[in-house]
Formats: sequence, C-alpha cells, structure tokens
Amino acid sequence: MTTIHNKQINAVNYEEPQTKSPPLLSVGPLAWIKNNLFGSLMDTILTVVGAIVIVSAVTAFFTWALAGANWFVIIFNMRQFLIGRFEPWAEWRVQLLALLVIAVLGWAVGAWSRISRGVFIFLLVITALLFVLPPVIRAVVPLSPSFVSAGETAIAYGSVAQQPLAQLGFIGREGEVITLRVAREYSQNDRALANSFSFVDSPLNTLRNAAENRLTIEARIPEIERLLAGDALTPNQRALLTADLERLEVPPPVTETYHLNEFPAQVRLLDGATMEPISEALLSGESEPLSVTLPRDGWYVLEKTVPDNPEAVTLIAAEGIYPMLERSFTRSASIGPDGETIAAGRVTQYIRMTDIFLVEGGRPRIEGTDVPFENIVENQYRGARPLHDYLSLYLAPFFQQINTGFLWLLIAGIIGYWGARLTDKYFSPVEKPRLRSQRIAFWLFIALPPVAFILVAGFGILPPTSPPLWGGLLLTMLLTVVGIVVSFPLGVALALGRRSSLPVVKGASIAYIELVRGVPLITVLLMAMVLVPFVAPWLGGPDTGPYRAMVAVTLFSAAYLAENVRGGLQSLPPGQEEAAKALGLSAWQATLFITLPQALRAVIPALVGQFISLFKDTSLVTIVGLMDLTDVAQTVVNQNEFLGLRREAFVFISIVYFVFSYVMAMVSRRIEESGSGAARRI
Amino acid sequence: MSELQETPRATSVLADEEPIIICREVNKWFGDFHVLRDVSVDVQPQEVVVVIGPSGSGKSTFIRCINRLEEHQEGQIIVDGIEMSHDISNIAAIRREIGMVFQQFNLFPHLTVLQNISLAPMKVRQWPREKAEAKAMELLRRVGIPEQVNKYPGQLSGGQQQRVAIARALAMEPKIMLFDEPTSALDPEMIKEVLDVMKELARSGMTMIVVTHEMGFAREVADRVLFFDHGRIVEQGTPEYFFTSAQHPRTKEFLSQIL
Repeated sequence: MTTIHNKQINAVNYEEPQTKSPPLLSVGPLAWIKNNLFGSLMDTILTVVGAIVIVSAVTAFFTWALAGANWFVIIFNMRQFLIGRFEPWAEWRVQLLALLVIAVLGWAVGAWSRISRGVFIFLLVITALLFVLPPVIRAVVPLSPSFVSAGETAIAYGSVAQQPLAQLGFIGREGEVITLRVAREYSQNDRALANSFSFVDSPLNTLRNAAENRLTIEARIPEIERLLAGDALTPNQRALLTADLERLEVPPPVTETYHLNEFPAQVRLLDGATMEPISEALLSGESEPLSVTLPRDGWYVLEKTVPDNPEAVTLIAAEGIYPMLERSFTRSASIGPDGETIAAGRVTQYIRMTDIFLVEGGRPRIEGTDVPFENIVENQYRGARPLHDYLSLYLAPFFQQINTGFLWLLIAGIIGYWGARLTDKYFSPVEKPRLRSQRIAFWLFIALPPVAFILVAGFGILPPTSPPLWGGLLLTMLLTVVGIVVSFPLGVALALGRRSSLPVVKGASIAYIELVRGVPLITVLLMAMVLVPFVAPWLGGPDTGPYRAMVAVTLFSAAYLAENVRGGLQSLPPGQEEAAKALGLSAWQATLFITLPQALRAVIPALVGQFISLFKDTSLVTIVGLMDLTDVAQTVVNQNEFLGLRREAFVFISIVYFVFSYVMAMVSRRIEESGSGAARRI
Repeated sequence: MSELQETPRATSVLADEEPIIICREVNKWFGDFHVLRDVSVDVQPQEVVVVIGPSGSGKSTFIRCINRLEEHQEGQIIVDGIEMSHDISNIAAIRREIGMVFQQFNLFPHLTVLQNISLAPMKVRQWPREKAEAKAMELLRRVGIPEQVNKYPGQLSGGQQQRVAIARALAMEPKIMLFDEPTSALDPEMIKEVLDVMKELARSGMTMIVVTHEMGFAREVADRVLFFDHGRIVEQGTPEYFFTSAQHPRTKEFLSQIL
C-alpha cells in the first residue's frame, strides 16, 4: 500500500469488476462429463463399453431377482442361515447377544463418532417401512390366485402324461376366505395359456408347455415358407427345409383338444378333520365365484371334477389356496411356551409358503390314503412373475420376518449411543469431553467376547448348549470373533518374538510363522481336527468340532497378523526406540507405550484386511463338517423342496458376507481418517 | 596420544569436585571401521562441553556411548560413579540420570505434548500423574510453549518440537544433558529459540555435552570445547583459546572453513 502511495499512482478503478461466467464446458456437470467420461476417443469407448456391461449385468440380475428367483428358500430357512440348529430353548441367549453387540457398537459410535440427523432419520424410515409395507402390500396388491385343473383325462405332452387330481388337501386359517372360480383368462387361446403365471399344478403346467410348443411350431412354418420362397438357399438347405416342412404338423389348439373351460366344474370343499362338506358349487365360466370363509385353523380338502364330459379339463383359479411344505423330524421332549410338556416323538409339520402358516399333525385320509396336497414341488410358480407378486410373495413376508428383530436392534443401538452421549454429558471432564464414554467403550469391547462366549456356549447357571448344533451366521461370527480376539495378541507376540534378540525366541517365532504361512488353511483345519486332541485331550470329544476349528483359524491367522505387525514395527524410525531408551524406559515399556501403538496404527488397513479375510475364510470349515453360513446354504439347496435354488441361496449368503466385510472395511477407514489420528502423523 | 596438543586445562566451575563423567581410552568399531580411538575425557559437574568436528569424526557416536545408545568395546565410561557395562540395571540407572536431545527431535507422534513429557517420569520414576503433569507444565513454561500442551507433535513447528524434546528430557530431572546436533534439522529462524533455551539451561548449572555446529553458542556458553577428528580428540580448550589460538593444523583448517 505504502509503495503505491509513494509512487503516486492515480489511475483508480471505482467500478465493480464485471463478473463473467466461465465457458459452458469448463465447470459444472457438463464439464465433468466431458472431462471424465468422454475426454478422448479411448475414454469414450471405455465409458460406453463399461456402461453397457454394467447396465446389462444389473438389468439381468434384477430381472432374475424380481421375476424369476424363488426367495422362499431364504425366508423359510432364515433361522438356519442365522443360527443353524442351535437349541430353540437357548435361542433367547443369541437374541440377547445380538442386542448386546449392537448396543456396544452404538456406544462406540457415540463415544468416537456422531450419527448425523440424516442417518438417524434414514434408519427410522427404514424401520417404519419394514412395519408399514407388508400390510400395505397385502391390502393393495393381493397375491395372484393359484391355479388347479379339474377333469378326468390325462394331459399328454411329449413323454409326460398328467391327470388332474380329484382331491387336493390344503391348510387354512380361521376366517380366511377361499374364492374359487373358473380361470377364463387362460382358456381364450393357446397364447393366453402359454403366458399363464402364478402357482399352477402339474397338469396345468403340462398344458402350458403343450400350448407353448404349438405356438413355436405355428411360428416356424411361415418362416420356413418365407425362406423357401426366397432364393438365398443352396439346394441342400432347400431339401432339408422342405423335409422339415413336411414333418411339421401344427397340432390342434390345446384349448380345444381338452375343451378347456367349456364344461362346468363341480367343486366341493370338505373340512379336513371331519370330512364333512362345507360348501359346494358347479362352476362355469358365467357363474358367480364360490366364496367360503374357513371356520377354523387346519386342513381342508378341495374335490373337483368335470362331471359332464370325461374328455374335458376345466381350470380353477383358487384364491387362498397356496402351496406348502412338508417337514418331518423327531422332537425330543421339551417344555412349551405355556409351561406344558411337549412329548417326544415323530412330528410332521405343514407350512404354507406364502406366510409360513404352520399346521402340525397328519394329513386327512380318504379311503385309507393320505390326500395329496398342494405342495411346493408340484405346484411351483410358473411363468414370468409380475412385480406385484414379487412384492406380496417375497418382499412382504421378508419384511415381516425381520421387522421386529430390526426394531429391537435399532432400540439397542440407540440405547448404546445415547448411553455414551449422556455419560459424556454428565461425567466427562470439560477439557476431555469424551473421556468417560471412550474408557467405558474400551472395557465394553474387552468384556464382549467372553460374555458372547458364555451366552452361546453356556456357563454357570446357563445350561450348556451343544457345539455341533451351532451353525449359520452365528458359527461364522463365533469363529471370526474368537479368531480375531485370540490371534491378535498371539500375532503381536510372534511379531515381537521375531524381532527379539534372544535366538531361541526369535527362531521359534520365525519357524512358527513360516510353517503356518506355508500351509493352506484347509490343511490346517483338517490337521487341527485330528492333531489338536493330541495336544489338548479335552478337545478330542465328538462335540468339540467348533472349538478345534477355532484353534485352527486362530493359529492360522496369528502367523499372518504377526507379519503385518512386524511390517508396522519396521516402518518406525529407529529414533523412536532410541528416544524411549534414552528416557530410561525399559525395553518392555518402550514396546508397550511407544513402538507398538504406533506400529499397530500404521498397519490398521492390513490388520483389518486380515480380519476380513479371516471372516471369509471361516467358510472353509464346511470342509470339516461344521455348519457355517456357507454350509447351511449348501445343505438347504440339497433338500428336495429347494432343489435348483442354488442361485438364491448363494446370492443371499454373498450379500451377508459382503455387508459384514464392508462394515469392517468402513470402520477401518474411519479409524484411519479420524481427526486425532491424522494429527498424530508427523 | 602424541598428537594430542598440550593445552591449558579448561576452567571447570567446580574443578575440585569428582568428575561426573569419566571416559578412559574409549575405543569403538563399527565392523572394521574404527570410530572412536582412545577417547579420554573427564567432565565436571555443571560443566558445559561443546563437541565440534567434521561429520563422520565420531562426535555423535561419542555422546551416544555416554548413555549407551551405542556400546563401546574398549576402555571405561563411568557416569555418576557407575561404570557402563552389560549389566542392564546399571544402564537403566544411568539413563535415568542422563537426558538426551536428538537432531530429529524423536518426539512420540502418537502422544500429546503433555503425554510426551509426563510418560517417562510416571513409568520410570513412578511419579503420580498429578506430579508428572505439574512438572511437565512447569517445564513447558520454562521452554516458553505452555499453550501447546494438548497438541500432538505433528501440529508443532520444528523449533517448538525441539523445545518439547528438551522439556521431555528435563522432566526426568537428569544430572547430565546430552545434545546431539539439536539445531541441525531446524530452519534458521527457529535455531535461536532452541539455543536460547539451551543457554538458559547452561546458566542454571546443568552439566551439558553438546554436539553442534553453532560456533556462536560454543563461544558464548561453553566451558570447554572438544575438537574431534577421525575418532579422536585432536584438541581441546576454553572457547577463547580454541577460537583464537588453536594449535593443531586440522583444527585450524576446520575453523577456517566454518568461521
């Protein structure tokens, strides 16, 4: 300023400088698109190809997930996926554990971080949706009816011949309304029949296939004629096509062959317990639907015939009759929820797949044989599923299944979070506003693993559970947590041992680390199963499989952790240890207070990476016969009712694995980026 | 030994007391490389000794031998009446009495300034936290940066870091302070603030051995200057003698280059 005055510069511009907007393609979203997506020819090609690949993959996945996949396998087996065959009487302990874990995590978030209003509102909205959506979906989009055929003729297509069942058993709830009518929408022509969807019985499915086949042939003939009329064919091709054309014969329309819906169907609804008729009607295309309100929970039988013509088939759309699953197992004696004794014995359960409604006991019998029932193998969902059926069939039940648990977990998390906040508000000193909550969080984390173990395995007044029954996500988490908690100190000790100046300690550490790192985890697991009992005879029993797997996973992980920690120790400048020594700290104190904290902090990404791979590697315990998450998926899809549903099961467990791994990775990033941590780096 | 010039004995502040550091014919090798050759020197309590010499002459190794960050292989080093040997308890006892300040500060980056200073008194001297933290605050005031108490080293300037390092060494209430080129890693404008702290420390009667290239400091504060070359003490004397009438050609050459 002074120099300007001294030099007497008197050209002063009093006008506001004019602001000019930047050129259109230099800032803003357009510029971003230009610079990042279409910067050069190569960029453009990569963008376009990448976008096509992503869009087609995502579209294919969601088409399958919404229109094709049968998610019942997940909904029905949710308990298996979560806790395997864990004893039902001890289930509350796992639930309590889940609440404790979430509460501690909530406390940790309150102690070290903050939840923004947006995230909180998001969680509340999600919870509300979980509760609100299922009834709304049920009310707004009723489930498509299931379709059954009536008649006495066998429906033949190819080598298959299916005759409609005269009687069909099903289960229903008191107050439910069963509506039966003739399915006129599928009898107009073969195209309507081929495009039918919803739960259909096997004869109807055969009709569908026959109709589809006829339409294919019908389309093929004009195509061949068009080709023959042209002159693009070689004589050889012409001869082949001509032969084809002669062989091809359009069958008469399927709808006509079987007089589809031309004759009325006689339907009768029986009470499954008494075999007394409840209602009956002669249903034709023009008649009013038959509506019956079920008087009680239990079995019913639908009798259906086409009395006027033995050649005719009539399709009945049945609202309220849905496929179910038969389960037989041997139950040991136990105490029921009201304190009554439940006797041991063979139990058969029938579970309706649309809402997991369950009836126990045998099927109704007619003339000494069990009535065939609407089951999920014979009455599968066929055809392209419309979105509303996806919503009411899978999304609503899934939401209903998880909403209560989700709400409890959310409450536990909020209690933990506000526990930490209030502790700080009332008990933390002003200059360190988060001291108390962080101290307590530290001790909570220390206490959690033993508490978890006691709750799961049982100790003292908690009766012990049977380890071979631990399974699903519970077993996966147990193996992971035990692996992390035990292998971490072991790994640190090995890393320090490897840097020790004592030759024996150093040699032993190196030998251990290199030996374990040179053997695949599967081998370690298999070895642990047979070798651990030699070292620890109390782990030799038949019930100790999970414990032996824990030993294997822990020993394996420790070697890798040791190398990670050693990397961190080596990355420290030697001045740190010298400074500690010069201050008079002993070697142990220098390690504990100076080098180790810094080394661990430096290798957080590698450590968390190791924990994540430990979490995923626990899936290998399926090799040694433990029922972890992966093993449950395999077992489930090997059951008769769920054959062919591998994709659904594996997609589901992939999502579970991914969610947990991603949360771990996210927490690690937060720790790395946390304010004090960033400042601590020189 | 014959090369060592006979020079006037430095005037010790308390010349009649027992020397607090006695080095007799100390020899050290790094592998085959002979770093220290027959170094003999006594340091009196409250004496300030400045060690100068070209790089690689062994001056840093020499003071690192005094608190046994380096091990000497021949000769004797006796500090405060205790001889340096392989006995770990001896080493720990001596290190407690010797503070050291490094060229690269070597503060603990994961601890706050307060924790950096109070850690060793609490863990080594078993002081209660209140006492250690009170001492830390007192020392921070003494080095002039009490307001930085809750910061991490990474948030401080080089000069501030070195002053914290001095405070950290002083927190153990040592009898001797070693400075290993304390200003060499600092920007020029920060050197003064560190030297001022060191001067104040010297005036307060601390026994100090300072390896430095700051000749102004040597001239002003030192009771005695040692000149190292090729692992031996070539010449020593009071600053007046040393900077005006040094005899040895190597000393003269060195001084002519840096003054």
